[in-house]
Formats: sequence, C-alpha cells, structure tokens
Amino acid sequence: MRPLDETETDAVFRKLHSFTGHNLKNIVENPSHEGPEPNPGRYCFRLHKNKVYYVSESLVKRATNISRKNLASLGTCIGKFTHGGSFHLTIQALNLLAANAKHKVWLKPTSEMSFLYGNHVLKGGLGRITDSISKNDGVVVFSMSDVPLGFGSAARSTQDCRKLDPNGIVVHHQADIGEYLRMEDEL
Amino acid sequence: MVKKKQKQKIVLPPALPPEISEDEIEVSDEDLQFVNENRDYAGFVSRLDTDTITRHVSRVADLEGDDLEAAYEKRLGRKSQQKQEEEVRLQVDPVDALPVKTLDGKLYYRTLSNTSEKSENGRDADDEKDDSGADKGIVRLTKAERRAKLKKSKKEAKKQGKELGKTEEVQETPQAAVLAKVKEDLTAEEVFENKKLKLAELGIALLADPESNIKTLKEMLQFCKDDHAIVKLALLSLLAVFKDIIPGYRIRLPTEKELEMKVSKDVKKLRYHESTLLSAYKVYLQKLMVLEKRSKYQHVAVRCICTLLEAAPHFNFCENLLGAVVENIGSSDDVIRKLCCATIKSLFTSEGKHGGQATVEAVRLIADHVKAHDCQLHPDSVEVLLSLSFDEDLGKAEEEDKENKFRNKKSKKRKNNEEPSQLQENDRKKSRKELLTKMREEVAADYKAAAFTTDVKEQKRMQSETLSAVFETYFRILKHTMLSTTDSPEANDNLVANATGAHPLLAPCLNGLGKFSHLIDLDYIGDLMNYLKKLAGGDTNSNSSSERSSKYLTVSERLQCCIVAFKVMKSNLDALNVDLQGFFVLLYNLILEYRPGRDQGEVLAEALKIMLCEDRQHDMQKAAAFVKRLATFSLCFGSAESMAALVTLKYLLQKNVKCRNLLENDAGGGSVSGFVAKYQPYASDPNLSGALASVLWELNLLCKHYHPAVSTMASSISSMSTSHNQVYLSSISPQQAFTDLSLERELLNPKYDIRKSNSKRKKGSSKMTGGIDSSLDTSSADEDELKKKLSDHFVLLRDFKENGRLRSELERTTLALQLYDEYKKQKKKMSKNDRK
Repeated sequence: MRPLDETETDAVFRKLHSFTGHNLKNIVENPSHEGPEPNPGRYCFRLHKNKVYYVSESLVKRATNISRKNLASLGTCIGKFTHGGSFHLTIQALNLLAANAKHKVWLKPTSEMSFLYGNHVLKGGLGRITDSISKNDGVVVFSMSDVPLGFGSAARSTQDCRKLDPNGIVVHHQADIGEYLRMEDEL
Repeated sequence: MVKKKQKQKIVLPPALPPEISEDEIEVSDEDLQFVNENRDYAGFVSRLDTDTITRHVSRVADLEGDDLEAAYEKRLGRKSQQKQEEEVRLQVDPVDALPVKTLDGKLYYRTLSNTSEKSENGRDADDEKDDSGADKGIVRLTKAERRAKLKKSKKEAKKQGKELGKTEEVQETPQAAVLAKVKEDLTAEEVFENKKLKLAELGIALLADPESNIKTLKEMLQFCKDDHAIVKLALLSLLAVFKDIIPGYRIRLPTEKELEMKVSKDVKKLRYHESTLLSAYKVYLQKLMVLEKRSKYQHVAVRCICTLLEAAPHFNFCENLLGAVVENIGSSDDVIRKLCCATIKSLFTSEGKHGGQATVEAVRLIADHVKAHDCQLHPDSVEVLLSLSFDEDLGKAEEEDKENKFRNKKSKKRKNNEEPSQLQENDRKKSRKELLTKMREEVAADYKAAAFTTDVKEQKRMQSETLSAVFETYFRILKHTMLSTTDSPEANDNLVANATGAHPLLAPCLNGLGKFSHLIDLDYIGDLMNYLKKLAGGDTNSNSSSERSSKYLTVSERLQCCIVAFKVMKSNLDALNVDLQGFFVLLYNLILEYRPGRDQGEVLAEALKIMLCEDRQHDMQKAAAFVKRLATFSLCFGSAESMAALVTLKYLLQKNVKCRNLLENDAGGGSVSGFVAKYQPYASDPNLSGALASVLWELNLLCKHYHPAVSTMASSISSMSTSHNQVYLSSISPQQAFTDLSLERELLNPKYDIRKSNSKRKKGSSKMTGGIDSSLDTSSADEDELKKKLSDHFVLLRDFKENGRLRSELERTTLALQLYDEYKKQKKKMSKNDRK
C-alpha cells in the first residue's frame, strides 16, 4: 500500500472531476468520524495492488500494521489501474459519485432492467436529465425513485438530446449495480 | 348690450302726412335762422333715402287684399337676405348716444350707415339675392363668399369700432373703447359659432352623400389653417368624416395608360371620387404630422392618428401612420402613450382588417425603435407585444399537404410502374389527364387570386417574420441587460444608483418570453437558458467581480428569470424532460435573499408554485432541503410569506413521502438520511445540505403564531403521518395564500374568518383579485377617511383631557369654598364662645 504519486493522482482526480465538477473538494475534504481521535481526520487515496482505495486516515494508520500480501482491501475501492496505466472507475465508487454528482440522468422504470444488464441508455428510456450536460461528461444514472443504478459517460449534450430520435444513445454504459451479480468474481 | 339688429317687426307703413302744398307751409324766420346755424341737426333730412321710403309706402299703399299679403311675403324673403346687409348697419342705442332734440321737439337718433361700404354690401347682397333666387328655402352660400363675408364683417366690426371711437370722441363717452372690444369679442364669438355650424354642415353633407360632395373635403381642410380652437375642431370633424368615408380597399390611382383609355361615366366618377379622397386624405395626414410636433396640438393630433389607424389599417399611407404611432409609444406623456399602446394592441387583435401585413410592419418598427433607443424605453412599449397571437395550426395544414403529396407521389410511382405495358391506350388518357390537371390548376390559381382569404403560405411567411422580429427584440433586451450587469466593477456606485431604472424593459420581456416560449426554436432554447441562468446570477465558475455585479438585478427580477426558464422548459416537454438543476440552486439561495419591503412577495409565491408545486418527481435531498429552508423562512417574515411557504411545504411533504421523516423527532435522520450525515444550513447546494437529517422544529413555534390561519396550517402539517396514502389535497396555491394574507387585505378585513375565506377562495380567484384591485384603488380614499377618523379620535381624547382637568379644578375650588365656609362657621363659633 502506498499513496498515489503525481500522475496517478492526476488521473484519478480527472476521472472524478468529470462526474462531480467542483464538488470534488467535498470528496477530498470530507471529515471522517472514524477512529478514537477526537478531531475528525480526512479521507485519502491509497494504491494497493493496482486498485485505488478511498479510506480515512485513521484507518490507514491501522492498516499499515498488516502485511502486504495479507491485506485484502481497505476502505472503499473506487477503481483500478490497467496494465497500460489508465485508470478506470469501478462500480464500488457509486456511492461516492452519487452523493456528489453534478450530472444526473433518471431512467424510466421500463428501461431500468436494460441498463442493469449492461446496455447503453437510449433516449426513449430517459425519464429526466439535468440541464447543461456536455459531451463526454461523467453521468450518474438513477432510477425514478432516486436509487443510483450506475454511471456512464454522456454521448451528447442535453441540447442535442432534445432533437434526438428515441433510439439514439444518450449515455454510454460504464458500470452498473448489476455487475455485483454478473461479475462477482472480478470485483 | 349693443343692439345690432333691428327688430324684425313688420312695421306698417306710416300714415301719409296730409297733403299740404309747399306754398302753404310757412317757415318762420327764427326757424330759418336756427336751421341755418345748425345744419348738422337737420342734415339727416338730406341723407334720407327717399326712394326706399316712397317705395316702401307706395308698394303697400296701392296694393290691397291678396296682393298685400303677397307683398308682405316677398318682403319677408328679402328680410332674410337683408339681415346680413343690415348686420352691417349699426344703430346706436339711445343709451350710448343721446338723441338730439331739435327746437321742433323731435328726437333724432343717430344712425351710422357705412356709405363707403354700402356699394360692396350692395354687391354682396346682389350675389346673395341671385343665389337665393335660385333656392329660396335655405340660404346656401358658397364657401368663398361666406368667408369673404365673414372677413368683411370682422373688418367692419373693427372699422365700426374705430368710427364709434371717432363719434364717441365727439360725445366724449369713455365707454366706447370697452364697447368696441366687447363688440369685437362678440363678433369673434359669432364668427366662431358660424364656423362651427359650417363645419357641422359640411360634415353632415359629406356623410350623407360622399360621392357628390367630395369637393367639400377641400373646404373643410381650409379650416385647418385657422386659430387654435377651430383647428382642433376641424381636425376632429375631419377625422369623423374620414372614418366613415374610407372604403374597404386600398385606392390605387390609375396609371397613365388607364387614364388614356375611354371609360364609362361611372368609372370616371369613381376615379374622380377616389382621387379627390386620396388627395384630401394626403393633405390631412400631412397636416396631422406637422401639428403633431407642436405641443399645443399634440393630444388632438395623436388621437386623430390613432383613431385613423384603428379604423382603416388597410388604407394607403398606413405605414406613415404606423410610424408616427410607434414613435409615440415610448413618449413620456401618459395620455399619448396609453392611446398609442391601445391602438397597437387593437391592431394586433383585429388581424382580419388588414390581413396581417400591418402586424408585421408594426412589430418590425417596434423592434427598430427598441434598437435605436438602446433598450431604454417605457415598459409599455414592449408590453404591447404580449397581445400578439400566433396561429399554430398553420404548420399542420402544410404538413398534411406534404403528406398528401407524398401519397400522390407514391401512387404515381406505382402507376408509372404499371403503365409501360399499356402504352397506347394510356396516351390518350394521359393527355386527357394532363389537360384536366392543367385546367384544375388554372382554376385554382384564379380562385386564389379572387378569394379574400390569405394564402396559407403567405400567412406563414408573415407569422415567421413577426416572430423573428419579436424574438429579436426580446433577445436584444436580454443581451443588453446582461451587458449592463457585467460591466466593469469600477462603475459600482453608478450601477447601484441606476439599478432599478437600468432595465425597465426586462419585466415585459420576460413575460413575453414566458408567453411565447412554445414557439421558440429548439436551437435557441439552450442559449436562452444560459442567458437566463447568467442573469439570475447562477454562474458558479465566475469570479467574484461578476458575482457582485450580477446582484444588481433585483431579487424579483432574478426570480422572474427562474420562472421564465421553467415556463420555457415546461412548454418544450415533448422534446425532453430537463431537470433544471442550476435554477433550483438559484431559487434555494434567492429564498434567503428575499426581503419583504423591497421585493415582491407575489413573484416569490409564483416562483414557489411553478418550481416546487408542480407534478414532478423531486430528488429527496433536494425536496427535503427546500422543506427545511421554507420552514425557516416562514419563521422570519410576516403572515403572508409564512402562509405561502407553509402551503408549499405541505405540498412537498405530501408528494415526497420520505421527507416526512423530517416530522419525526429523529435527529441524525436515521436510515433515510442519505449520504450527508449532518444538516448544513448555509450550504448553497440543496443536494448537499443533508436536510434529511434535520427535524422540523419550526412547526412547533408556528403553531403558536398570532395569525390563526398560520397556526392551524402549522398544526395540520405537524400531524401528517408517515403512512403512504394521504388523501388531503390542498386547493390553495402559494400565490393565493400570499394574496389572501397580504397586508392590504388585512387592512380591509379586520375580522378574519377562515371558513368564509375558504368558500370565497373556492368560488374563484378572479373575483378575489378583482376585489383586491378595487380595494387597492380605494385605499387612497380610505387614507383620507382614516385621517379624518384619527383626527376626530384625537380631538375627542383631547376634550376628555380638558374635561378632566377642568373638573379637577372645579373640585378644588368647591373644596376650597367648603373649607372657607367651615372656617367661617368655626370662627363664628369661636367668637360666640369667646363672648360667652
């Protein structure tokens, strides 16, 4: 386990920023009430076996006592680095993203299942969409009852979405909560 | 009063003096001497008109019976002519110039007859006689003669004044000058009366038979060059005439070719009529335009222009009229502005009269006007655009046509595929078909040319032009507002000073956008939303300077921006259901910035209604955040705002079941708190406020509010349970709640009865608003009453005080007197005792 270096931090924050915008500071400066210290510590990012974890500092202190090969996981895993060195967010980051998301999309009940199977979001399945989404922004997908279902990247801006025909793709699928069942082994 | 006219008594001719031969008349020497010395006295004898007298006497003396009657009738006829002649003659009343008594004992009254002008009058009288010879019934003078006569009478009056002055000098009476002036005024008044009568006559004649009397238009136009009052009257009467005379079509003057052609009498007459009408109209309009510049005639001229435009928007020169009206649309004079706005509104609503062309013109002119003045105009000028109406079905008809065309094309294709097998027979059929279609097309074209209904294409074109002009204006205003708010921060103070006046056109612009939002092209909606967001101050990436400057838009204006954004979004729902995140954040913050005296509560209530009370699924955190903030808000301000906020609150709690956890005493939110564990009251983003973790303790305080409505509402909210199906639907909107409890109504209905007001509300809000309007109008009258009542009350109080004071004095004095009596008694007793 080690803290992230420059390039890695850069990559992680860039990815997070596309989802959260200026709410990123909420993520970074979130006070954590874990641990016995009276002053709330902060959350930080740690790299362990190519996975990036979002964990409170008090927990990190304790985790240093466990050896590298025994340490399975700590805090919340938010994503992993591929062999090529690029960073991908995984589904476990959903809670963090949903709390601070700038761009949201709500799905109609009929198209929830389709998304949970890994398909992209079509315009016909769109219940609601926030204004001011531009192309390739990170978008968090919710159901109509505000349950976060996953996230993806916007295929086109909100303005363009207005003129789209109902079978056009609005959001490219990146991760959904159905993966907990489908790809249990890989998580 | 000076008598000018002789009494029109038919005086019987005097009895002839007995015939005495001249020889027998003895004239004494003394008499002769006297006459020789005072030739003046008897001078009148030489001036006697012996001819007329003998004629007068002899005519009647010799006739008898019927002839006598005929003679008298003739004389009557001549009297009416001679009336004008005799106006000239003045007979000086005995009061003014004392008669002269000769030694004979006869009284000679002075008469003034203008011998110099007698000849002219004679000529006039002759003319008049000629005319009246032709038409005895009504004495109809031609205009020129009448004018000449009037002028002369004026001149005569003046002259007579002078002459009178001369004669009066001889008699040395100082009243003469005053008399002269009075005479002048009287003549002027009479002249005025005559002119009015003449105008009326001409007008009636024109209306009765416009074709033959069209020349009289020119005469009426002559009146327009006179003095002030006459000009006004003339303008107005010409207006009335033109309103009725103008035909329903545009007059096109015949070209030279047509003039050369031989035409029938009727056509000639019609052409003459049209050309005179047009030329007179042109002169009239030019006169109006000139007079409009002068402040004396402005009101009248503007009224004439407006009425003409309303009555005949299709006629020639309507562009000039329109130009003049649009110029005045932003004038600072209230009356003129209201007139012009009313005219343009009626122009927009009565499209049938002019087939839409005038609308396009007017809107284009308004747009140019706004551009020229750089958006610094009175809001009325843009408000007129609200009364535009657009026909949305035009596009559908065309689409149907397109579909038909497609179908035809398809069927034609099919036919073409079938045909090659049967060529020969189809040749004839084809040619026949072609002929038939050609015929049909020709007929259709002729029909279109003759029909009055405008072509659909034409209408569409005009509508799109109008729309583009309207939106150009609106966007220009928005841009201007934006530019002025993002100006350099060094000009802070200036901007603050001009804040309220800097954007007078913003309010009607936003209203118009809201109304026509469904007609905006999809391309522009995104841009528009960005603008609105920036105006409402929501650009969070902006640096501090622009944030400061964006606050120069008042809270009400920013709220209105949000409202318009929502209206636009709602009207475009079929395109996409967009959640306007940014505007919710803005509203969340604007609620904090509201101040009751400075900002309009109605706008806030409307914003709450449109943004929160509509049937939308809200984010739980967002809804909870609004609920909490509204509860806090309702604690801070008066009952009206509280009521509006509470109504919204109730609605939100009913719609979002999860938010009812706020009613539970579960600090920390329990399981439903979402991601944020603690409530941040000052968070600017409702999604991050963590309101689900808070509790609505404010309701407990509100239950003890001084206003009964607020307290009952608060207690009913707090008794809402967390079960799913709640059946009460409140029929009140926040706006109604606000207006119900606003201070104005409170002043007028001191006894507040909830049941009564509920039933009133159900009847309809229109009556209420009407009532409020009327009550607001009478509030000024109420002030006076109030003052009076207050003064009475205080006078009464003062009297009480006086009474009290006097009474206490009285008591004191009576007490003193009593004491004195007792003292005396005591003294007496003492003295008695002493004596004993």
